[in-house]
Amino acid sequence: MISVKHLSKVFGDTTVLKDVNAEIQRGEVISIIGPSGTGKSTFLRCLNLLERPTGGEVTIDGINLLDRKTDVYKLRQKMGMVFQSFNLFSHLMVVENIMLGPVNLLGSGRQEAFEDAMRLLATVGLAEKAYAYPDELSGGQKQRVAIARTLAMHPEIVLFDEPTSALDPTMVSEVLSVVRKLADEGMTMMVVTHEMKFARDVSTRVFFMDQGIIYEEGSPKQIFEEPKRERTRGFINKIRTYLFEIRSRTFDFYAMNSGIEEFGRKQMLTPKQINNIQLVTEELLMNQLLTKGGDAVDIDVNVGYAEESGEVALTLTYGGSLFNPLEGDGSDEDLSVLIVKRVARMSKWESDAGRNKLRVIL
Amino acid sequence: MVVTQKREEKHLVLTLEGRLDTTTAPQLEEVLKSSLGGVTHLTLDLAKLVYVSSAGLRVILGAQKQMSKLDGMVVKNVNETVMDVFEVTGFKEILTLE
Ligand SMILES: Nc1ncnc2c1ncn2[C@@H]1O[C@H](COP(=O)(O)OP(=O)(O)O)[C@@H](O)[C@H]1O
Ligand SMILES: [Mg+2]
Repeated sequence: MISVKHLSKVFGDTTVLKDVNAEIQRGEVISIIGPSGTGKSTFLRCLNLLERPTGGEVTIDGINLLDRKTDVYKLRQKMGMVFQSFNLFSHLMVVENIMLGPVNLLGSGRQEAFEDAMRLLATVGLAEKAYAYPDELSGGQKQRVAIARTLAMHPEIVLFDEPTSALDPTMVSEVLSVVRKLADEGMTMMVVTHEMKFARDVSTRVFFMDQGIIYEEGSPKQIFEEPKRERTRGFINKIRTYLFEIRSRTFDFYAMNSGIEEFGRKQMLTPKQINNIQLVTEELLMNQLLTKGGDAVDIDVNVGYAEESGEVALTLTYGGSLFNPLEGDGSDEDLSVLIVKRVARMSKWESDAGRNKLRVIL
Repeated sequence: MVVTQKREEKHLVLTLEGRLDTTTAPQLEEVLKSSLGGVTHLTLDLAKLVYVSSAGLRVILGAQKQMSKLDGMVVKNVNETVMDVFEVTGFKEILTLE
């Protein structure tokens, strides 16, 4: 359906896309992941000609995108695009926002456009908001309206550029479930996203972009579990773990906690899981390692999440004399140890080349 | 964490909002120290408390001990997250929950 060959894009003297190649079939759901600034947005924008490619070839259903004779408007209608920001008209009601494109650009009759809009609003779960104004909606609801507006143009493929990045974390899942529903209905989609669980569960293929190319591509399983190339590995490991280094007793406790929270939300952990990680970390650090563990403070806090098993592992590695805070038979224990033992599913302490390594499964 | 006080004669109600952890527990301890004079009955309203760790439990336990010699202490509106911690530590049995 879409064929991209040697696509490049240069802004001034920065080459953002070097040599992008891809074949996308009808019905595919492609997630595009990668560090920021690697040209993911630029790639999508080149596909629907919001940016003009510098070189290469893009054909859509056999039509050459870069041919000057190509009808850009017609092409854009085939390709819907949903952005981070929703850009709804605030002086128009929700249903009018959705009807605007079909009436003005597709030449649909008002009645037909209205019925279609109402059907689409039902699809995204917002039928009751048809006569509301955008300002009366939450961010998640606005984005769902924006998706309905895109669908009203009857696109053959929808490009999403970080559709949930501007949303309050509590609203991410309502938008993702609409995207997921479209995928189930067979819509062809390309989604730039930081929501790794979503990318993993919903896509047919994942593109990892870096260094101006599609650095590695494969099934979600290949990319998330068995990435082959070094940069992909680095990226995947980084997003799956949270690391915080403590080198002083007066370390920034708030920064650590909000880091854990942000990591947990990105990984779609439940509030209870996040709470438990923070609790166990606090108890071990504040009441054990930093009070009893010797002089020099040298602790690495590592939180990792294994999607396959749903397990969260907290690993503390620390210097000083060998010391397992969870040792002991359970009698005469202080509160902090009691909490850790009760909340943890399992724990294991070992000496790793002279360093303490305590792993707690939650 | 924000601690709000409401005093009615010998009854003091403390409403805790936010996180009661290592960094904020001293704040509660301070409030208790300075406000319990003449108080015979204490109520802790935890409706808006979203997190508690052992540091907070120790302060709550201290207050409970102090009030048990008088007319006692009641802890009310405990949400699920905090209740989980009360449960694993046995505080659920020690405290008077409402
Ligand atoms: N219109 C533009 N003019 C100049 N530079 C741009 C323009 N759009 C994007 N860039 C640059 O291209 C690079 C890639 O941007 P982008 O495609 O937004 O990356 P990503 O979406 O992966 O974060 C960035 O360094 C950005 O500054
Ligand atoms: Mg981008």
